[in-house]
Amino acid sequence: MILTTTDEVPGRKTTEWLALVRGSSVRSAHVGRDVMAKLKNLVGGEVTEYTKLLAESREQALDRMVEEARARGADAIVGLRFMSSDIGDDAAEMLAYGTAVRLA
Amino acid sequence: MSGREPTRDELLAMAYVDGELRPAARAEFEARLAASPALGREVSALKELELLARAAAPREPMDEEWARLARDPLQRGTLGLGWILLIVGCAGLALFAGWQLFASDAPLALKLLMGAFLAGGALLLGATVRARLRTLPLDPYRKIQR
Repeated sequence: MILTTTDEVPGRKTTEWLALVRGSSVRSAHVGRDVMAKLKNLVGGEVTEYTKLLAESREQALDRMVEEARARGADAIVGLRFMSSDIGDDAAEMLAYGTAVRLA
Repeated sequence: MSGREPTRDELLAMAYVDGELRPAARAEFEARLAASPALGREVSALKELELLARAAAPREPMDEEWARLARDPLQRGTLGLGWILLIVGCAGLALFAGWQLFASDAPLALKLLMGAFLAGGALLLGATVRARLRTLPLDPYRKIQR
């Protein structure tokens, strides 16, 4: 499955626009990670606990989007975008969306 | 690597993770997946490998320092002791507060309600922890770092 943020796949002809496909994931850190993250807030620097949390959500959202595109028989997803939002204080949502297309 | 030939199920799981199964074979495999925790763990492990390969990024100088700190006995000891003291303190305070309430002159109804509240919380926590422990081996995303 080709994933691209552009509207077309360079060098390939789009034969069919199938549908908007999306995948989202809301994950939270366990309390131990939250405690360490709060302590790191006191001293600054990268909060690796939350970097990891967002990366987990991002990859899961991507996989769910790709699964949906695959189920529709797509060859690629174009116009890929990410969005994130907070759900409560301790969870993060990541949404990946794009347009599933068939290629020549 | 064990050096042995992969089984048919392992080959099917690899093809499934790579999205190479045709729709009918995929549906059949997913039906078996729903009924077999062992097959689920196999798929999850393969997915984890694929994710780690996808997320492979050049190490930064800070990564090396984090790794050194993780091995440093002083850092490990400080963190370990800190966690033990924190957990013991929290549990002790909760037990002390509970004991204070039940040994006090508070009305029996209040004590019963508080007991129900605590028991309910403990049951919900227990069920949540059990569910997480059951699903943890099937969560391929837990080792992603960034």
